[in-house]
Amino acid sequence: MKKSLVYLMLVMFVLTGVLTGCGTNSPKVVKIGFVGPLTGGNAAIGVGMKNAVDLAVKQANASGKLAYKIELVAVDDAGDPTTAVNAANKLIADKGVVAVVAHFNSGAALATVPIFHKNGLPAVIAAAIHNDITKDGFKEITRVITAADVQNEIAGNVAAKDWGLKKYAVIHDKTDYGKTNAEQFIASVKNNGGEIISFDGVSVGQQDFSALLTTIKSKNPDMVFFGGVATEAALIKRQMGELQMNAIFMSDSGILSDTFNKIAGPAADGTLAHGIGKPLEDLPGGKDFMKAYTDAKYAEPHEAYAPFAYDAANIIIKALEKAGPDRAKMAEAIRGITGFQGILGETAFDDKGQTRLKIITTYISEGGKWVPYYRSSLKVVDQKIQKQ
Amino acid sequence: MTGELIIQQLLNALSLGVMYSLMAVGFTLFFGVIEVINFAHGEVFMLGAFGALAASGILISAGLPLGSIGLFIVVLLSVMIIGGLIGAIMERTIIKPMRSSPEIMTLLITLGASIVMREAVMLFFPNGRNPQPFPQIIVMKSFFIGGVLIKPDIVLTVVLAALLITGLYVLIQKTAFGRYIRATAQDREAAKMMGIRVDRIFLITFILGSALGAVAGLMNGMSYGIVKFTMGFIVGIKGFAAAVVGGLGNVYGAVAGGLLLGFLETMAVVFIPDGSRFQESISFIIVILFLVFRPGGIFGERTYEKV
Repeated sequence: MKKSLVYLMLVMFVLTGVLTGCGTNSPKVVKIGFVGPLTGGNAAIGVGMKNAVDLAVKQANASGKLAYKIELVAVDDAGDPTTAVNAANKLIADKGVVAVVAHFNSGAALATVPIFHKNGLPAVIAAAIHNDITKDGFKEITRVITAADVQNEIAGNVAAKDWGLKKYAVIHDKTDYGKTNAEQFIASVKNNGGEIISFDGVSVGQQDFSALLTTIKSKNPDMVFFGGVATEAALIKRQMGELQMNAIFMSDSGILSDTFNKIAGPAADGTLAHGIGKPLEDLPGGKDFMKAYTDAKYAEPHEAYAPFAYDAANIIIKALEKAGPDRAKMAEAIRGITGFQGILGETAFDDKGQTRLKIITTYISEGGKWVPYYRSSLKVVDQKIQKQ
Repeated sequence: MTGELIIQQLLNALSLGVMYSLMAVGFTLFFGVIEVINFAHGEVFMLGAFGALAASGILISAGLPLGSIGLFIVVLLSVMIIGGLIGAIMERTIIKPMRSSPEIMTLLITLGASIVMREAVMLFFPNGRNPQPFPQIIVMKSFFIGGVLIKPDIVLTVVLAALLITGLYVLIQKTAFGRYIRATAQDREAAKMMGIRVDRIFLITFILGSALGAVAGLMNGMSYGIVKFTMGFIVGIKGFAAAVVGGLGNVYGAVAGGLLLGFLETMAVVFIPDGSRFQESISFIIVILFLVFRPGGIFGERTYEKV
């Protein structure tokens, strides 16, 4: 009896020795997390983002430059704050995860940012644009996408400086979203010497704007700016046309949808709006990314926000090379990243963790489609929309 | 403010007002004759707009040219038929069986019906969840008369509404059938004893009111170029407000109430600083004021007294 026990122990010792021997031969496994909408209304975007992170991980593993083998752990936030918190906790509990590429939905990001911070897990926000996400400047949180307020700042610059428009009539839909956009636009216009001749609220669901527009028309603005979403914007643009108003019409990224063009019909032509991001083929590394993504043969298309997730993943990988698999050191390395050339351009973070890149595109509606202004034949010349 | 601008704003007020008037006439007919407040009337308006959308889609694909007067007339007729049918179905399925129940039951059941209709369009109409563009059934260009811009859809809306309301006036005041309606409204029991088939009067009143509501939906689609499944709610409440302002049960009051609401909404935008914020809520303020201070409506008459 005793003898057999000794044998058994011997065997076990030998076995353990063999097993640990195996372990030291292959590189250490390090995990990168992804949390985004893999189900629900934004699933297509989320899956594209996840694939982009997967692509970055595969490329890094294949390069052979890393001392680690990276694995991707993807969890679903369904675009929902509560689900997002659970998903974040799952990643936090997995000690192998050194950093996370996080979120498309701002609501989800706002919910998880304090949790990532409290638990010391670095999170690079990929595509959620709400201003407040980086408000607290937590050292674990960075963001590679431009924040929402920048689009209105740029919109004001473009209108007042580039196009030389002087008089602005501003309308908003009284929602938090619409009013904030309108106010940020006004601030930017005023900085550039523009004059706000009216500031009016309308209701979501309202159909008739003729009384308001008749009043505005009599004040002769160069531009009517609307803070709100597609349906009201389309009705306002139509009714401006019916009242034969010559003012240029511009709105925020809330109208960058097919709904606007469909409802406004032919009247949509010449409407301007600013959106965050840029068509992929026009980004510095966009074409390379598209080729790599196609070669990797993912079943799903990459969709619009994959480039942001891809850069976020590569920033994490670059920080990992420098800092090693330690969450606190990783957070520091990500924050202080220098010389990172991604497909968006050179990303570096400010003191709040927000990217210094301002990737904003001016769009114009032409022939029922949103076209980047730089590619359109419609231009603002002499304070009017004209065909070139 | 220049004279032209004032006239321009009055025209804006008029185009809003006639739409409310058409809706208010329906409310007031239902209340005056059948004594029901039909909260599903706004959804009949919405279904009228969707009916027009579907009808014009079918007719255009059948070869009728877009922008022709023929197309408009056919769409108008189909919308009236659709509206009338919905009215008939509603009267027979939910109003008639509830006739001996307390009024609150009818109120609740029409409210329920309105939710069912709204959700049904959202779920079953192709792409019903999203706002849809309304085809330009009649193509006309805006023109100027002495510095005042005339939008053709305003002209069309006003003329059509005036024709329909005049038609209704003639029907009620000058025909034997109109006499039956008036008699039924005054005293249901006496009318019955005089051999008037009250049941049928109720049905036809519902058909008439609903057809007018559906036409208002068509006009709304033509004026604004958009239809959406939620459009009936706010217009319904405004039509009801107009009917209350005009004195529920009084057809001419309803017309006046609608015009007054359109006028006040426009004037709020013009004269109150940042007044456009209140444009959508002004109707409710007016209706509260009227209910408190002048429950009989603009003309202040009690149209009839029940014994």
